Amino acid sequence: MRVAATAALTVCLVAIAIGQTKPTNYKGLEITPLGIERAKNVALIDCPPGQNSVRGNARGEEEFIVVKFAFKVTPAFKETIVKKPVLTDASGKTYNTSVSIIDPGSKPSYECGFPFRVPLGTKAASIAIDTATINVAALDK
Amino acid sequence: MEIDRRAFIASLGGTAAVAMMDSEAKADSLEHYMEEQLDEQVAATQAREKFPTVAEIEAQIETRNYRRGAGSLFVSGRGNVKKLTPMPKNATLKDFFELRFAPANHVLQSATRAMKTGMSEEVILACLLHDCVLNLIKPDHGWWGAQLFEPYIPEKSAFAIRYHQTLRFYPDADAGYEYPDQYFRIFGEDYKPPMHIEATYKMLKNHKWYMEPRLVTVNDLYAFDPNAKVSIDPFTDIIGRHFKQPKEGLGNDNSPSAHMWRTLANPDQPL
Repeated sequence: MRVAATAALTVCLVAIAIGQTKPTNYKGLEITPLGIERAKNVALIDCPPGQNSVRGNARGEEEFIVVKFAFKVTPAFKETIVKKPVLTDASGKTYNTSVSIIDPGSKPSYECGFPFRVPLGTKAASIAIDTATINVAALDK
Repeated sequence: MEIDRRAFIASLGGTAAVAMMDSEAKADSLEHYMEEQLDEQVAATQAREKFPTVAEIEAQIETRNYRRGAGSLFVSGRGNVKKLTPMPKNATLKDFFELRFAPANHVLQSATRAMKTGMSEEVILACLLHDCVLNLIKPDHGWWGAQLFEPYIPEKSAFAIRYHQTLRFYPDADAGYEYPDQYFRIFGEDYKPPMHIEATYKMLKNHKWYMEPRLVTVNDLYAFDPNAKVSIDPFTDIIGRHFKQPKEGLGNDNSPSAHMWRTLANPDQPL
């Protein structure tokens, strides 16, 4: 167990050091993909996150792909309405999210999760935020 | 078990702190972290909410001394009802917000979101007004709400208020609307909307104004934040441009819904 744990930690650190996806700069917002999760029931919280208590549900042959991003507001950012992210799957089909990016310049940095309701087993390929495209295929394991 | 690398390293004090640890300490930390994560995951699974069925909700009816559909002004969830401040003579919409609909957090959050995401003024107004009628009556609140406001607001806003009730039951991923778990709680996990709702949905799907009520539902979903700070002040201009305030005051203008405003103004009248 201990050897395995040490090896796992080493993998973690190496991945952080060399494998981290570079941030994408969109109008002064630095956007870094953090990971992808799958769920049947997800928190519906806008970005930057508040405390909304409602959750969304996927039924039957559907699930949510939740793509997590870190946002950093640089001095170049000017307050504007930022379009919602759109997910493209491995076959090129696109999916929308219910989460909006509201007042993106209100905090210097924050993390947000964007849920996309998709058929079970859908593989994520990329996320588009207006003109910025972020490859997330490697995060969908 | 999947490990959130960032969370794990942050839990140790960051990459600098990790760099100073020897292999033994790192292994100990990872093992401990994994055990904690597992405990949390098991607890979360066990605590997953069980939603009631329609039959279970129906079984609660005779446990109450009021009907679930009674407007909020008529029933107190906590102790006795309070004496209300009388409405001013020429009551405005803002007066009703302050004296009858308050705190109105949900509709104000909903309209604030609509404004911040750049929606039309008709939709913002509809979001601001969409659930106000719940103070009067709850069943079919879309229709009642539209009827209450129809004499004073744009046709599109009234349409959005009337039909948001129907569209709340139907997810629409393209528009960004998910079926909310609160509906499992309120209506039951196995609830099927009644025939008039299904028929209305069928009509709306092909209607040129489908997006008006749909956008109300989208904002509705995200307007349950107990810590949000909201006010009616940002909407003063939109109300001024789109709400035809009667000079006699709401309830005194002989409009088709004046009696509804009078009922809201005087909910303690016995007849």
